[in-house]
Amino acid sequence: MSVEDPWSPFREVMESPLEWARTWKEKTGGKIIGHVLPDVPEEIIHAAGALPVAIEGAAVQASHALGHIPTYSCNHAMGTVEMGLRGDLDMLDGMVIPYVCDTTRNLFHIWDRLIPKMHNEFLRLPKRTDHSMARDYLRAEFERLYESFAGLTGKKADAAALAESVKLYNASRAKLREAYARQQTNPGVWTGERVRLLLDSSLRTPRDEHLAWMENLPWNDQSDVAAETIRIYVRGKVWDPPGIAALLDQMGFTVVDDETVTGYRAIAQDAPLNGDPIEALVQRHMATIPYTGYHVEPRKMTGDFVDRVKASNARAVVFLNPKFCEAAAFDTPDFQKALQEASIPSLILETSARGVSTSQISLRLEAFREMIADDLP
Amino acid sequence: MQRIESLKNIKQITTEYFTAAHMAGRTPDKPVVYLNVFTPVEIFYAMDIFPVYPENHAAICGARKVTKDLAPAAEGMGYSMDLCAYARCDLGWIKTGMSPTFGLPKPDLLVVSNAQCGTLTKWFEVLSRIYNVPMFLIDVPHAGRGEKDPAAERYVRNQIEELIKLAEEISGKPLDQERLKASIQLSKQASALWTRMLELGTSKPSPMTVFDQFVSMFPIVSQRGTQPAVDFYAAVVAELEERVKQGIGGVDNERFRLFWDNLPIWPELKSLSTYLDENGANLVTSIYTWAWSMLSVGEEDPIGDWTEQYLYTFNLHMSRRVEQYTLLAEHYDLDGFVYHSNRSCKYLSQDIPEVRDAVTERTGLPGVIIEADHNDPRLYSLESMLSQLDNFLELLASRKKAN
Ligand code: SF4
Ligand code: SF4
Repeated sequence: MSVEDPWSPFREVMESPLEWARTWKEKTGGKIIGHVLPDVPEEIIHAAGALPVAIEGAAVQASHALGHIPTYSCNHAMGTVEMGLRGDLDMLDGMVIPYVCDTTRNLFHIWDRLIPKMHNEFLRLPKRTDHSMARDYLRAEFERLYESFAGLTGKKADAAALAESVKLYNASRAKLREAYARQQTNPGVWTGERVRLLLDSSLRTPRDEHLAWMENLPWNDQSDVAAETIRIYVRGKVWDPPGIAALLDQMGFTVVDDETVTGYRAIAQDAPLNGDPIEALVQRHMATIPYTGYHVEPRKMTGDFVDRVKASNARAVVFLNPKFCEAAAFDTPDFQKALQEASIPSLILETSARGVSTSQISLRLEAFREMIADDLP
Repeated sequence: MQRIESLKNIKQITTEYFTAAHMAGRTPDKPVVYLNVFTPVEIFYAMDIFPVYPENHAAICGARKVTKDLAPAAEGMGYSMDLCAYARCDLGWIKTGMSPTFGLPKPDLLVVSNAQCGTLTKWFEVLSRIYNVPMFLIDVPHAGRGEKDPAAERYVRNQIEELIKLAEEISGKPLDQERLKASIQLSKQASALWTRMLELGTSKPSPMTVFDQFVSMFPIVSQRGTQPAVDFYAAVVAELEERVKQGIGGVDNERFRLFWDNLPIWPELKSLSTYLDENGANLVTSIYTWAWSMLSVGEEDPIGDWTEQYLYTFNLHMSRRVEQYTLLAEHYDLDGFVYHSNRSCKYLSQDIPEVRDAVTERTGLPGVIIEADHNDPRLYSLESMLSQLDNFLELLASRKKAN
């Protein structure tokens, strides 16, 4: 690790995250549990004594997967199958696939058949966020997950260990939130790209180490002044295509808030520390902005979204919608209409679309920026 | 092929149903509820709330080949071509007003369960905003690998109880238990007749094809819990029993007995059934039509039965499906499987390659995957579908010869 460059440990992880995890395993002999993101409680995996590692298939080109999952599936699923078949994930001791949509349901089936030796868990997240029994159900699911992974690692699924993990993850999230906010005050140092690096690497490294690395970042560097940028709000699944954050930086956009599962949404809520830690995780889950695959009162959904955008003071919205993602495709037209009614411009980028290049995306962003600039009073 | 005469009644039944639906839509004290299949329709019949199935209407649009006008209209509203073609047809008719049934009455309530796909939830959310009406989701957790899940049972049961309260509010009267029992009775009778109809397919030759089953689905979907559904299936079963006695098959010369996986390709019912008939291939059973045989509940604890059903019967792990297919292969003495990889129904299609391989491993029977769509003819080519089927039937013929 370079002492001069405090960003380098994060960069090292993200240059080849799966290799980094493999090396970590060789060095420590620890267990690794992969998860396909939305709302898998990493604290539970950590408390069970394993390293949680996010598996993102969005940018993976499929070839082996083609005979096993139809091409009309989103790349998150196809890419994951591809990595599994290529052996890229053979350092994983376990895998969690969350039930957020029909595709992850089918991914679980496919995974069970193709990778049967792995300890696979299907985390059945309730789709209702407004129901007291949904909390009760989620609690039972979290308990089941904890027992299952403690069984895998040979640890006891006890509340004290989980409370420690909750504390650690809360501390990490607090630091990440601070970094996220710096994008607005010190955008020269805390670029969107760098903040993404922090967030992405946090999902793939031991959180205590990651937190220690973050301490070395230039928190006191005030050399930079806020530049004139276009403040945007982002909604989508993950930050895809790779390099999108850097592209937004280059084009003079600042992301002031986002609802992606690897973005601000993932760090916005802490789990309250004053009681039962499983309950705390349930509370955190329910307080988090609902993922697109969940159900909320439909007539409130669009208005609430517009309110969140307005509260962020963003001037425009960018949707990062994965190709073949039904949930996002059903939501977006009404969301966009509601934004229009509130005079907030928006742009839909269909991401993970095979055959769409970064240069095409950059052209669209450029046109969008010009359109917003023309709109200024 | 010799037609099944009693199936002709379906036209009359459908006409009467839609007339009643439109009447309900115009009668202030007759609320209309939109539903999907895995919801307790008997409750609504017992409360004089008229049930309407947008999926069913969309299937009619597909079979009457109006998708090509409706789906682009939905796409014009911003809904991607990758979305379920039923949903696009439904949104398209709302936009254009074009529909073979003069559309659907405006709903007062939307009820959906995700024991089926997640798509319906998102589709109904859009409808809730369009019509500005409440929506109730019965959230049914996936059954994992089939293990009992008491927390899920509590969750589902509680939601059905809440749904009854909501229905009482909407209809302005309490649920009459006697009427519920009567509706459950009729529903049970219809389900039993439907099951008998499917069972008759085990005869050789099978007296009906899966295409006939698709054509006859309307009452079991929309009118479970009513007398017309019972009468219709009683007539069909009587005729099929007679056909079995006389050795009349669903296709003229039954050489191959096949299984159909997934939804029908509604716009191609005629072309596919003609092609298969000409080639002596009879689709004798399908997991899709079997679903409706599992929908009846008892009068003692219907809420408990619905809970069990939604949780443990439909949204199953692939391995359970493979077991069912294996049993059906034996029960129907099948020669092979035809899997419809249905482009805009991801829920039923994404695991097909693995299902096919697993079923072939278990049964030794070959399976062909045809790429199509249940409702949007712009998403497939009939020629390539038929050429895939040609190759498959040749393979089956050579297997028969070798045996
Ligand atoms: S991107 Fe959409 S379709 Fe794909 S896994 Fe996520 S929610 Fe499901
Ligand atoms: S066709 Fe498939 S996606 Fe569409 S409503 Fe039916 S099950 Fe859902």
